[in-house]
Amino acid sequence: MTAIAAATADVVVVGGGIIGCAIVWQLAQRLPRTARIVLIDRGPIAGATSGSCMGHLMVTPDDAQEYAFSHASVQLWRELQDQQGGFDYNPTGALYLADDPADIALFANLQAQFVACGDRAEILDQQQLRELEPGLAHDLPGALFYPGDGVVLPMTACGAMLRAAQTAGPRVDVLPYTPLTSVLREGDRITGVVTPTGPISSPNIVLACGVWTPEVGALAGLPKLPIVPRAGNLAITAHHASPIRTQLLEISYLRFAHGAATVDPTLIGADQGGHAVNMQPQSLGGCLIGSTRQFRGMNRELNHELLHRALLRAARYAPGLLDLPIVRTWVGLRPFSLDKHPLIGPWPLLRGLWIAAGHEGLGISLAPITGQLIAQQMLGLPCSIDHRPYLPARVVA
Amino acid sequence: MSGARVLEAQVGIVGAGPGGMAAALHLARAGITVVLLDEGFRAGGQIYRQLPEGYDAGHRISEPPSHRAGNHLLDAVARERIRIVHGATVWNARPGQIYYEQNNESWLLACEQIVLAPGAYDRCVPFPGWTLPGVITAGAAQVMVRGFAVAPGQRALVCGTGPLLLPTVTALASAGVKVVAALEAAPRSAMWAALRGVIGNGARMREALFYARSLLRRGIRLQWGASVFAADGDGRVQSALIGKLDQQGAPRPETARRIEVDVICAGFGLVPAIELGLLLSCAARYDAPRGGHCLVVDEQQRTSVDSVYAVGEIVGIGGAEVAMAEGRVAGAAIAARLTSVSFDPRLALHARSERRAADAMLRAFQLRPGLFSICKPDTVVCRCEDVTSSQAAAAGELYGRTTRGIKMGCRAGMGPCQARICGLNLHDIFCDGVEPDLPVAQVPVKPVRTATMIDVPRR
Ligand SMILES: Cc1cc2nc3c(=O)[nH]c(=O)nc-3n(C[C@H](O)[C@H](O)[C@H](O)COP(=O)(O)OP(=O)(O)OC[C@H]3O[C@@H](n4cnc5c(N)ncnc54)[C@H](O)[C@@H]3O)c2cc1C
Repeated sequence: MTAIAAATADVVVVGGGIIGCAIVWQLAQRLPRTARIVLIDRGPIAGATSGSCMGHLMVTPDDAQEYAFSHASVQLWRELQDQQGGFDYNPTGALYLADDPADIALFANLQAQFVACGDRAEILDQQQLRELEPGLAHDLPGALFYPGDGVVLPMTACGAMLRAAQTAGPRVDVLPYTPLTSVLREGDRITGVVTPTGPISSPNIVLACGVWTPEVGALAGLPKLPIVPRAGNLAITAHHASPIRTQLLEISYLRFAHGAATVDPTLIGADQGGHAVNMQPQSLGGCLIGSTRQFRGMNRELNHELLHRALLRAARYAPGLLDLPIVRTWVGLRPFSLDKHPLIGPWPLLRGLWIAAGHEGLGISLAPITGQLIAQQMLGLPCSIDHRPYLPARVVA
Repeated sequence: MSGARVLEAQVGIVGAGPGGMAAALHLARAGITVVLLDEGFRAGGQIYRQLPEGYDAGHRISEPPSHRAGNHLLDAVARERIRIVHGATVWNARPGQIYYEQNNESWLLACEQIVLAPGAYDRCVPFPGWTLPGVITAGAAQVMVRGFAVAPGQRALVCGTGPLLLPTVTALASAGVKVVAALEAAPRSAMWAALRGVIGNGARMREALFYARSLLRRGIRLQWGASVFAADGDGRVQSALIGKLDQQGAPRPETARRIEVDVICAGFGLVPAIELGLLLSCAARYDAPRGGHCLVVDEQQRTSVDSVYAVGEIVGIGGAEVAMAEGRVAGAAIAARLTSVSFDPRLALHARSERRAADAMLRAFQLRPGLFSICKPDTVVCRCEDVTSSQAAAAGELYGRTTRGIKMGCRAGMGPCQARICGLNLHDIFCDGVEPDLPVAQVPVKPVRTATMIDVPRR
């Protein structure tokens, strides 16, 4: 690809997924014009998890910290849309659905959480739901509508971030198909990276390698970072008229995806897996259907059984789906951090080494704020939200 | 959603063209139960395509001598009462199981052995105007004429490259279409190279003679080293810009001239339909003259997966004779496995010699790199996702100059055809110097209804 002209940089970002691209975007806005940022990826840009996921921009009101974190990020997505565009940004809001009477009480709980964060969400009755989403099953009891969420196409969003960076001022070189093979260090300082096309000397490197971050961290001599793959099966329909207009989630999704604060470590490696409906309309028509979760290592084979259950469930909510042709199904690997918080910030034992990984099923939503926190910390600027819960220092012990 | 629909057979065959039928016949005669699955509504495949049952075209479509073998095969398959499931879209397969959709119903064919004979896709190099109604592939022209007795237009331009242009011209002409021009992109030297390759193969020589005579009789001259440059028209094709190609195959603008046509049949070769094989984890390799990625088989047509055999175009484009010969080999090999008869190695020898003749022909008609410059910056390269050449180029520049990089950067190849149509073009236009990425096989290999995927029969 692009030949490495001068093999020096101020920052080398390793990993061209949504996290790496967001870091480049946010750094480019803050570094001087004389600076040079290099992004390397061993494959194409967006070739891994960020090219095989959904694109729900989700505000999570679990508590004030999580709300501030996700809300700030979703605002930055809007800025990227204004600045650059080209990634099918669609501020649909989100509809939380249920068909199990036991789950309906959760609407009020979630609404209360949004209100506690100073935001709002609306409970819709059956009639209001039908007006908003006429394609949904008519027997659904109602829904919770949160207007602040949206949908993007993550693959093209990666490019939008890089293009915004390339016009921001500093020199930005994007080098796909350039793997990191080793890390250069002097004592407790980073001095650069080595790739098959040559070394790049740099005082800062950021590891944004998603589920491969532990493996790449090992190249820098780090202990095994607590990030494991959590597989998700997805299906996408042809660009026919979509039966839905809004990002849809089963409200039980929250329990399922963001539930229990700790994870049974004996399950990591192989569990039965679970599913909850997550459907989003596509800009060209048709919809994307998820989502399942299963710990089973790096295996990217389709789990037919799980996908089958997810499709069945999706058709329960949107019966029109049954007649839509499915074009493709696939598996993506979420980078799951064992304590459920991503690792964002400096590695305390090696100066110049930064980590940004482990966003599980929210990496698209949280990419811009992650990029911003890395840029702010690297340049010694005040952070726009409290960055401490995400510092990698917590896993050093 | 209703109950399980399961068929059982010892051998399941995908594709009722010459390869699939030849395998089926051999197996049936050995007393083995087979089921043939085919997307079409009658047996024959693309080459021996038949009109719908009981349909009288009113005119005779002229057939080359080789079709006699096809007719014999069709008759024999009918006589043996081999079960053919028509209108079957195979969407998933594992060793021993083939899943298909028929009349909106979800079916499973359970079988011990699988023979893959799904044929190939038409290839079309994109040129300005190729998405206008009235531009069709050479294969589509044959489907219309042979399969439905429909003339696609009145004045046709036939263009592209390879031995399939000739049958397209004769099929159109015998259906009453005036073939205004017939353009072969390869230089005239390809003709001699191809002829040298088929010398000694009597059937292929007779075939070549048949076409030469058939063109002569109608006063149609095949122009070598020439191509379509653009299609034009208001809402549909009304004219075409055509001209000569230089040494590298690139258009020579000073030779361009406009002809009035209402249909353009373009056939720039064929691409093996290997996706089912990939889904079954069969090994594949890239072989440009043979049309792209091809399944790897041993001398008995067995793939890298023990119970899966592959014959015909998916082993490499080769035509009906190769497919038939390989079909017999696969049938004989499986029969030897399931019964006490032994495998006759002469069948394999014969298949190999047919393959050699076909390879010689293919090498002569390889696309020259210059030809891709008929594709202009605003020409659509991916029709499913509506991506232009300049968008694909920009995506490759930023994301990585591979078909995967381009796909991620602009979604080219992500639509219903899953890059079957655009994949090789994207590679040949934008990805100099790297081998094309092996396509990723994903379920469903052809779009099927969500209901079909949900209502999967189980045994
Ligand atoms: C099914 C599914 C649905 C999802 N839906 C959503 C959603 O709706 N909303 C949301 O916010 N999030 C969603 N996510 C989560 C989101 O996709 C991820 O959190 C996010 O994509 C992770 O991005 P990343 O950049 O960390 O990882 P990746 O995109 O995997 O990028 C890591 C990169 O590092 C590169 N790399 C690895 N090793 C090396 C090396 N040695 N040298 C150089 N480069 C290397 C890889 O090639 C890769 O490109 C979903 C995920 C899945 C699987």
